[in-house]
Amino acid sequence: MTSLLEVHDVGKAFGGVYAVREVGLTVAEGELRGVIGPNGAGKSTLFNLISGHLLPDHGTLTYAGRRLERLTPHARAKLGIAIVFQGARLFLGMTALENVMVGAHARTRHGFLSAALRLPAHRREERAIRADALEALDRVGLKDWADRAAEELPLGQQRSLQVARALCARPRLLLLDEPASGLRAAEREALAQLIESLRGEGLTTLLVEHDVAFVARLADRISVLDLGAHIAEGTPAEIRQDERVIAAYLGKEAA
Amino acid sequence: MNESVLVLLLLSAIVVTGLSMLMGYAGQVSLGQASFTMIGAYTAALIATHGRPTWLGLLAAPFVATAAAALIGIPLLRLRGHRLAFATLAVQLVLLSVVGQQAWTGGDIGLQGIPLLNIGGYEFSGDRPYIYLALAALLLVVLITRNVVASRPGRGLRALATSEVAAESSGVPVATYKLVVFSLSAGFAGLAGGIYAFYIGYVSPGSFPVLLSFEYVVMVVVGGAGTIWGALAGATAITLLLQWLNDLGTREGMPASAPAVLSYAVYGVLLILVVLFLPRGLVPSATSWWARHVRWPRRRTSEPADTPSTAPKEMHYEPN
Repeated sequence: MTSLLEVHDVGKAFGGVYAVREVGLTVAEGELRGVIGPNGAGKSTLFNLISGHLLPDHGTLTYAGRRLERLTPHARAKLGIAIVFQGARLFLGMTALENVMVGAHARTRHGFLSAALRLPAHRREERAIRADALEALDRVGLKDWADRAAEELPLGQQRSLQVARALCARPRLLLLDEPASGLRAAEREALAQLIESLRGEGLTTLLVEHDVAFVARLADRISVLDLGAHIAEGTPAEIRQDERVIAAYLGKEAA
Repeated sequence: MNESVLVLLLLSAIVVTGLSMLMGYAGQVSLGQASFTMIGAYTAALIATHGRPTWLGLLAAPFVATAAAALIGIPLLRLRGHRLAFATLAVQLVLLSVVGQQAWTGGDIGLQGIPLLNIGGYEFSGDRPYIYLALAALLLVVLITRNVVASRPGRGLRALATSEVAAESSGVPVATYKLVVFSLSAGFAGLAGGIYAFYIGYVSPGSFPVLLSFEYVVMVVVGGAGTIWGALAGATAITLLLQWLNDLGTREGMPASAPAVLSYAVYGVLLILVVLFLPRGLVPSATSWWARHVRWPRRRTSEPADTPSTAPKEMHYEPN
């Protein structure tokens, strides 16, 4: 299998303290990779290094053969990397449909001039974006919410709305940051099924998550971080039996 | 209302439509928008007083203002929220002081004897032609704003007003978009300034005080940021109010300082009242009141007055 994302030896320090240190991982095309670790392990820092909201102090990030580490987040989005943030980073004062339509920004091109002049090509693109966004809303089960204000949605639906926004970008790599946090059991189950069906379609996914059971159920392989370092990698079954992981993380939870 | 007030009202509405787009959709505040009106007015005046065709002056005004905004916007728009607001205010103070000291801009006296606007042999003289010119310019500006707001880049602007981080990751080039909308709103102000220069016939730093920038912001807030009708309503309401206060302040027996005191005090009081009681401005408050009480009166009981069904469009800033 060819690799889509290669993180090599990246490090990021805040005020002299490393949040992530010499972390490396390789995600294959079509793989669902989980990243777990206890609080303060550096999961969020690693996530932000890949999304582009943080720049690494050293190390390299390679995506589909291109170096990423100095690209802006919107340039990374244009390369096909879509993100579902922790919590609900929705666009307020816009409908659910409009929120999802923003997701198409990465792969569409009409700008201010053609918008101001209402060029036919711009209007065609608008219609296509709207259709794609409705399809993405349907995919996550939010079709009936299309014209509601995004902030009126319950938390579980807000998370799904973010997934729809990411899907509307037609991503090649989907980054999920703690998608299950704060969700009720039924919402969590629906989210797990959605992620599973996306994997079935071959979408490469990086799932950063605190909830080990949630990741173990979904991931092909799991990378484990502890105190900013990469301590183990393997299939969910291998990770469960890894002594370093048990000591660092599962052991503490069992105790 | 006399016709000269109507011209000035329409010119304010042009500026305020752009500022409302900047504030209401993109969430960026400019406290120095009159800088761009001034740049437009001086551009038109300089071109016309140097013997070039007056229509060229009018055409150049919005473009020079746009270019100036694009240039100063690059460093300025790195600032957010009130820091950006103060930086734009500082730009205007610097501009006023520089223009007031240069010989080629006429210093504090300004540029006088601007010829009448002449387009294709038709000479614009008197109030009436300028009313139509300003009205046409306002229509153009409203049309552009409406088209931009309801489009792909318009959605990007509204998105970045809530979350620059999430907008960036959806592929919105946040810095570029902010610069474009800042420049576009400056272009509108420059167009209004160009018409103003030909209408009044002279320009001086005194015509573009900081108070004028505040006036624009008050118009946006009173009318309701992020709505085109709000911009028009705000410009109308404030222009008429100022006119009335001016009549009041210059009545016999009033002290000489009365007009200035009245207008400053009224800005302050008005802003406080609007923010307290109509935080979304006249037009959005009126439309949701209409929706609740007139169109669907039965929903009154099910929906408390402070949570209207149409989501309020407010400004959100991310602390960096």
